[in-house]
Amino acid sequence: MRRAALTTVSSVAGIVLLLSLKPHSTAPITAATDDGQSGSSGNSSAAAPDSGTTGSSGGSSDSGGTGTGSGTTTAAGARDGTFTGSAISTRYGPVQVAVTVANGRITNVDVVQVPTRDRRDREINDYAVPQLTSETMDAQSTAIDAVSGATYTSQGYIRSLQSALDQAHA
Amino acid sequence: MSTTVPTRTAPGASGAAAPRPPGAFLEPGVLLAAVAAGGAGVLALWWTGTDAVVGADGWLTGAGRITGLLAGYTCAILVLLMARVPAIDRGAGTDRLARWHAYAGRCAISLVLTHALLITWGYALTTHTDVLTQTGTLVVDYPDMILTTIGFGLLVATGVVSARAARRRLRYETWHLLHLATYAALYLAFWHQLALGNDFLGNRAARVAWYALYGGVAALVLWYRVLVPLRTGLRHRLRIAAVREEAPGIVSLYFTGPHIDELQAQPGQFLRWRVLARGLWHSAHPYSLSAPPSNGTLRITVQAAGPHSTAFASLAPGTRVWAEGPYGALTGQHQRSGKVLLIAGGVGITPLRALLETLPGRITLIYRARTEAEVAFRGEIDTIAARRGATVHYVVGRPEGQPAGSAWPFHPDLLTRALPDLAEHDVYVCGPDGMAEAAIAAIRKTGVPRSRIHHESFAL
Repeated sequence: MRRAALTTVSSVAGIVLLLSLKPHSTAPITAATDDGQSGSSGNSSAAAPDSGTTGSSGGSSDSGGTGTGSGTTTAAGARDGTFTGSAISTRYGPVQVAVTVANGRITNVDVVQVPTRDRRDREINDYAVPQLTSETMDAQSTAIDAVSGATYTSQGYIRSLQSALDQAHA
Repeated sequence: MSTTVPTRTAPGASGAAAPRPPGAFLEPGVLLAAVAAGGAGVLALWWTGTDAVVGADGWLTGAGRITGLLAGYTCAILVLLMARVPAIDRGAGTDRLARWHAYAGRCAISLVLTHALLITWGYALTTHTDVLTQTGTLVVDYPDMILTTIGFGLLVATGVVSARAARRRLRYETWHLLHLATYAALYLAFWHQLALGNDFLGNRAARVAWYALYGGVAALVLWYRVLVPLRTGLRHRLRIAAVREEAPGIVSLYFTGPHIDELQAQPGQFLRWRVLARGLWHSAHPYSLSAPPSNGTLRITVQAAGPHSTAFASLAPGTRVWAEGPYGALTGQHQRSGKVLLIAGGVGITPLRALLETLPGRITLIYRARTEAEVAFRGEIDTIAARRGATVHYVVGRPEGQPAGSAWPFHPDLLTRALPDLAEHDVYVCGPDGMAEAAIAAIRKTGVPRSRIHHESFAL
């Protein structure tokens, strides 16, 4: 009995220790860190996603986002139309979104592809994607939070969204 | 004198093709170190495959993955311990392997239960559903999970019936049959590990290693628990050549057959005997050789105690028998010094009788029996002792004032009075568990290191 208790306690302690040694927050998501590994670029007219700049010289008259270096882009001043972002590869598969802009507002975000390798991926997408989309509509920018439990999908989503808005500003 | 096989024994083929030098065995410490290293490797697999642990669901799922990996690993080790690989068996001893197996079994059941609970809970938190809904989704919608759930049920059921309390109420045969169901359980649960295991997806090396672990263990079981016994049975075609009563209810059986010396049975070892007769063929029971093999003859000595041993003790000459083995580590291979003390209790004399004749050095035998009638081999023992100059103490009955179950005569003072240099001895103990424990405890107090106490429990 004493050995069983000892084994149990030390196993639990060991597992908790292992878990506690890992970082407990996701890496900060910055669209600007996009390393341009896009598999496809939706619009032929799109700027390269790794340019890291929003097109201030374009037709946009407004401030055109909160600045190029911050990694956050707003919808204000974007052209009307539908812009497909780069496919961002994540550990579990590519994530790609298409954003529809009308009158300087994001009116819709379509998910072109998300990881669907197995049942768990789909289960995660089922709750994470609507949440990310509704956050985007509220924020009208890429300044949205990652969804807990769907870190990779969130990162891919935000970066693809960034690339789509970049095109809208081009 | 002992050859250590340093590596974990490779699956099947190599063990069979190359003739092993007799006596090659794996040191139990090396075996344990290898098992521990494998466990560390499994944890490293989780470590390298995990970037961050975020939120309550991250902690739960992370702990679920760790316990799942460890459960999968422990299950493979469980089976390895019972594969009857000769090098492992002769090193650690069959009884010790069985105890390790039982311990690992309790660990595995705990890990499997914890894994299932934590993963379901963690996934439920992630997807914002309740645990019951998530359980349904996991079982029905995830690949390979229906099979896994069946395997889970089998494994837990076996764990329950194997618990000490339940086992006493079951017939050995029933318990054994249920135990075989765990092979099916492990097979069923294997596939979800690779199909869903976060650390195996996208990690080819890990998948290959996992296949090798399970495939290797399966090959060892198939080889050493099925094919080798079949071959041994067919090749030696043993028959009972003679039957001799040693004491009331204690019978020696002599077996002959072709190529018996190929078995390379060492004094102190046992074989599992399967009588090819109606009602007996389906189970094999372990009995020690009670004499060193000689002139193509094997001898075992059986005390009629349970239904099986009673049936065994009444077999007639000419009966055909299959023997599996030899097994056991109660042999001269582990002797370190030139002085040996043998301690026998009751029918535990059988392997020690064989060792009395063959172990080199100066030998003392303490033979404990409840009654004079229970003393077997008295003539043989006295003859061997006279020839070798060995000392024999028959300790029969119990003096007034020594309650039944007391440690008498195994007291450090009594033992050192009989053998002043006891601390320099190798000690071999075989007898009922209570007596053996008392004897070992007393011997330890006289300063004999554990590594020089060689014990085999009846309860395999």
